Amino acid sequence: MQTNSLTKPLTKNMGPENVATSLDSYRANGGYRGLRKALRMAPADIVTTVKDGGLRGRGGAGFNTGLKWSFVPAGDDAPPVKYLVCNADEMEPGTFKDRLLMERDPHLLIEGMIIAAYAIGAHTAYIFIRGEYHLATARLENAIAEARQQKLLGSNIDGSDFSLEIHLHRSSGNYICGEETALLNALEGKRALPRAKPPFPQVSGLWGKPTVVNNVETLCNIPHLVDLGIDWYKNLGRGEDAGSKIFGVSGRVRNPGAWELPMGTPIRQIIEHHAGGLCDGLKLKGFLPGGGSTDFLGPQHLDLPMDYDTIGKAGSRMGTGTIIVVDDRTCPVGLVLNLSRFFARESCGWCTPCRDGLPWVVQILQRIERGHGLPEDLELLREQAQRMGPGNTFCALAPGAAAPILSGLDLFEQDFIDHIARGCCPYVVEPEVLEAV
Amino acid sequence: MPTITIDGEDYEVDGEQNLLATCLSLGINLPYFCWHPAMGSVGACRQCAVIEYKDTEDQHGKLVMGCMTPVKDGGLYSVIADAAREFRGGIIEDLMTNHPHDCPVCEEGGECHLQDMTEMTGHVQRRYRGSKRTHRNQYLGPFINHEMNRCIACYRCTRFYRDYAGGSDLESLGRNNQIYFGRQKDGMLENGFSGNLVEVCPTGVFTDKTFSQHYVRKWDLQTAPSICEHCAVGCNTAPGAREPGNGGRAILRRVTNLYHRDINGYFLCDRGRFGYDYVNSDHRLENVLAARGDRLIESTARSGEKIHRILPPADAVGRFAQTLAAAQLGRRRLIGIASPRSSLENNFALRQLVGGANFFCGLARRDLELLHLVDRVQRDPRIHSPTTPEIESADAVLILGEDIDNTAPRIALAVRQAARNRQKQRARDLKIPLWQDASVRQLDGNPSPVLLIGTGTPALEEIASEILHCTADQTASFATAVVGFLRRDEPEQTELPESLRELARRAAERLSAAQRPLIVSGCGNRSVDIVNGAAAVACALAECEQGDREQCDLYLACPEVNSLGIAQLFPPGGGQLEQLAGQLRAGDGDTPTTLVILENDLYRRCDRRTVDTLLAGADEVILLDTLLNTTARHADLVFPAAATAESEGSYINSSGIAQRFYAVYEGAGFIQESWRWLANAAAACEEYPGNDVLAGCQHVHELSAALAGKFPALGVLAGLGPDEHYRIDGLKVARQSHRYSGRTAIRARDHVAELPPHRDPDAPMVFSMEGIQNAARTTLQANIWSPGWNSNQSIQKFLQGVGGRRKGAQGSRRIERAAQPLEDWHPQNTKAAATFSAATDLVLVPLHRMFGSDELSARAAAIASVIDEPYAVISAGDAEQRQIQHGDLLQIRIDSEHYAVEARISATLPRGTVGVPAGLPGLESLDCHLPGPAAVERIHGGESP
Repeated sequence: MQTNSLTKPLTKNMGPENVATSLDSYRANGGYRGLRKALRMAPADIVTTVKDGGLRGRGGAGFNTGLKWSFVPAGDDAPPVKYLVCNADEMEPGTFKDRLLMERDPHLLIEGMIIAAYAIGAHTAYIFIRGEYHLATARLENAIAEARQQKLLGSNIDGSDFSLEIHLHRSSGNYICGEETALLNALEGKRALPRAKPPFPQVSGLWGKPTVVNNVETLCNIPHLVDLGIDWYKNLGRGEDAGSKIFGVSGRVRNPGAWELPMGTPIRQIIEHHAGGLCDGLKLKGFLPGGGSTDFLGPQHLDLPMDYDTIGKAGSRMGTGTIIVVDDRTCPVGLVLNLSRFFARESCGWCTPCRDGLPWVVQILQRIERGHGLPEDLELLREQAQRMGPGNTFCALAPGAAAPILSGLDLFEQDFIDHIARGCCPYVVEPEVLEAV
Repeated sequence: MPTITIDGEDYEVDGEQNLLATCLSLGINLPYFCWHPAMGSVGACRQCAVIEYKDTEDQHGKLVMGCMTPVKDGGLYSVIADAAREFRGGIIEDLMTNHPHDCPVCEEGGECHLQDMTEMTGHVQRRYRGSKRTHRNQYLGPFINHEMNRCIACYRCTRFYRDYAGGSDLESLGRNNQIYFGRQKDGMLENGFSGNLVEVCPTGVFTDKTFSQHYVRKWDLQTAPSICEHCAVGCNTAPGAREPGNGGRAILRRVTNLYHRDINGYFLCDRGRFGYDYVNSDHRLENVLAARGDRLIESTARSGEKIHRILPPADAVGRFAQTLAAAQLGRRRLIGIASPRSSLENNFALRQLVGGANFFCGLARRDLELLHLVDRVQRDPRIHSPTTPEIESADAVLILGEDIDNTAPRIALAVRQAARNRQKQRARDLKIPLWQDASVRQLDGNPSPVLLIGTGTPALEEIASEILHCTADQTASFATAVVGFLRRDEPEQTELPESLRELARRAAERLSAAQRPLIVSGCGNRSVDIVNGAAAVACALAECEQGDREQCDLYLACPEVNSLGIAQLFPPGGGQLEQLAGQLRAGDGDTPTTLVILENDLYRRCDRRTVDTLLAGADEVILLDTLLNTTARHADLVFPAAATAESEGSYINSSGIAQRFYAVYEGAGFIQESWRWLANAAAACEEYPGNDVLAGCQHVHELSAALAGKFPALGVLAGLGPDEHYRIDGLKVARQSHRYSGRTAIRARDHVAELPPHRDPDAPMVFSMEGIQNAARTTLQANIWSPGWNSNQSIQKFLQGVGGRRKGAQGSRRIERAAQPLEDWHPQNTKAAATFSAATDLVLVPLHRMFGSDELSARAAAIASVIDEPYAVISAGDAEQRQIQHGDLLQIRIDSEHYAVEARISATLPRGTVGVPAGLPGLESLDCHLPGPAAVERIHGGESP
């Protein structure tokens, strides 16, 4: 694959046959140039650059990264100990972009982290990585060791006054750890429960110290943004949002995978061009634009650009930007059930609507899917999901879990009704699909 | 003052509270589970949802959680909006998906917050059709039942147990709806405040196992406000009693917390909650006993002990009256021995009977001197004895030689909260309200300085910023050094090692820099020097140039419930037992002597030889007491005395607060208050002056009034709590609830007719359900509930706002002692450098135990089951030197007594000292020797040495 360093900064070092993860090859491709430049800048200027560059958090919420950094106390009165934490606990259903970055170009993440830590004044950084990511863990461990050996980590990085240690922490596997404050608790060895806000982590985070938690992909954006500048970065985007992003497609498409594309790339282009469209004989029934915790969109939304605000206005979220496609021969009730089962299992157990509401939702969906549903179950399901709305629960897990349920009830209403009316699942599973599963 | 609007009504509120607490303070019902008035908000249950409107134009508003929402001026809220109501009902429906609905067999039933809140939401119909998850329950020890299936996962248990009380062995385990609140494995809960789980849990997961032994529903309990008699903190309690259905004697069935803002707040320690059962024990005296005259041929009794028979009370009173008559005629000397575990009124009655000159305090010299010193210190105008909320607000604490975790547990719990003040200050800086518990607790965790000097208090060590393990003498020296630094004198502490000087300097710095420093000490070590040292530090802090305080908080823990009360009745320098023993020994022998001992086991007070002499010096010993004890075995006449829960009177706690307690029920058999026995005898004695307050005494308040007149410091007793003439709408207050059942049936086995209720001549309360039932109008009612609020959470209905005082008159007031500045304290000799010779003699020092050190609670069945066998703790160095291993059998020899104990090795106990559990069953008579030298050696099992 031809890569153009100017348009695909995140994946430029990646090629199908060329798994170049060593420090030397990374450097040979211009790696650590952004760091060298950053270390000559004032930390505040880096924060401004990232803010003005318009980089928005790639973990799903889309908050301006530089703005997030700017909340960290800086200056002489600032607390001496601060932390940077990389959220690499990628567990959103249908999402595999961070894994790609960490496995295929670990030094990009490390360079991004060093710059971020320098910008906020942190001397200790953690990568909180999903426990199942064995290959990424091995490659990151190796990359950290290489970087330390070459004085890119440790004290006086690259001859500067700045020092940083990066520790890799393997998560024991909990979706809630993707929530940044639950992640901090887990990192402290506590139960992975989300924390109350305020205080926000930037003021009081890990062990009560100012802390920034950034997603892997977000941090991977930093080196080139600093190196090549705001204008270049803004121009990468096709629409409102700046930069490029890794978009992915899963489901029954011809060519499932992930591609680095400009922000604002139309959904149709991603699904039909890059993912090759749906498999033969299948029609698109709907899709989740950004992972399991986003609302379903329908075929009428295919021409929308993948921008945070555009997708938000359409009634969903861009989330992680990894699309899950629903075809016309997949049972949407089964799909929603499958997702709900995941979220019910992953509930931390703190607040009632999530802890007790989700298992109930699973039971109702299971009943419908098995053909034992009652007509009043639909209203009950909707009521339950609405109770998990934003603000009603302690964190965003339950609203995320409710998103595919509520939007599914709207978009696939007839499917739910058919299940109940016929007393069975109307979707016949083809033998070849069963085999593939 | 912000003004807010709730459902169209305007309210002026303080704005310090969250919206939920504000609603509750305003009397607006809003259901909640996870919020607790003492523990704040965490936003877990989502039950207290209300609607918040942006402005008057806003028609829909936004759903917010009351407990997580700060009140803002001009705020518009709705509690009754449909959206909020439906949400709250939905939350109940969610919570109930796994709840077993086993209310009929659940001991929480009838006083269950979950029942109340369910009703309050109006939710009535469950649509859940699935199966319920089931858990395995755990054995949590003899105090607490565990029934996890009832759990609604509000997290209050672990928040109280871990965050508030510092426990570590109760955890939230697992996740999603499989969450489990329990221990890693079965076993007794280790924290001494575990009993509060019973009240903190909104449903029946944690229930009182001792109550289960004799369970009745809350509405069938007869209650009255009482005071815990198991230490000197003076926690307010609500004991509940009821007769069994078989016509048997009334049983005291449980103790729950009774909110007092300045003392116990919402929590009790386990000794106080589970110690009540001693009144039901087999050792309980219910009849008058008289020693038999026949010679003992063979008996299990020790020499000097007597065999008793039951005597009709009238005969016994007659015999007592004869003794009185002889005394009045000068033919007999009558001596009274008082008790620090009996009420002021009982003690005063005895004083009236025998006269001030023949009145002794029932304590050994050093114990009484120590109490007088505490009293003396508290009279200094620079010293302030802090309330519990004041202790909690201290921002630097120095604990000098007092194991408050075991001598004054509730105070230790307050100190634990004080350790969080630096974190709270950080929250204030960040403008995070303090009720926002989930936020405050994640802030930088450096605790406020808590300096722990002395032995013991292991439970507080985890919150201590500095710990110094040292002897009592070294503790006093340390205090002297701190005083030196505070006064900026050049301390002449040459014998204090440099590291300790440095620690003392840091302590002085931290204390003087604090806004509200607190010194904690007490009588636990029986060290005058420690108390003097603590007082000197507090005085120096009060005079310190830094800070504009005129007073310094000093909490001095006294040993027993009425220690400070008894100290008021004796002038300094007189009244101790040794003095009495001396007098009796030197007596002319012609005048026969009668000892009247009030609720006191003298064998716990002085060494056996002194007590034997004392008892032998009298030819008649009359005892009034609750339990059969060693002194009772030597008495000629034993009257069954009422326990605290069966009587009315007043105690003075360690802070000098006088408190009135009321009888919960009538004692079984012939039990009555000690003063009544004395008054009966006086009334039956023609020679006794009829105009004396005792002879004609009908009501305990007459004694209180006489006391107030006699002792100026006790003047507050005259108006302490309503007297027997107090009425509300012409009625007394009912001890039984509206729903008290079986009134006509309960004695049906013995009587066909309904018996009239017991009379209570002392209290403005009745032993029946006919009377005033509104606890908001009087603090007399202890059975706390309110329409819709059947659980103890209803207490908020009776407070002046959340966290405020109780509505109605308080039954507690600080005594008014004449101010008297202390003289400057110059320790005669600082013995810090003194090392004890490595000879056979070691110094025994007292170690206080929550279970076992207190005489009465040790006889409660559940507590008795967890008291250790006799042991002694020896320092690792001494153990090595003497080749003693953990678990070895040791012999402690003092005078002619010897005790076999199991050795435990401690890394923190100072060399040269041996820790002995004070008052532990089996070692009671050793207590009076602590601290003191003794020979300690290993017993070589079977082999000859």
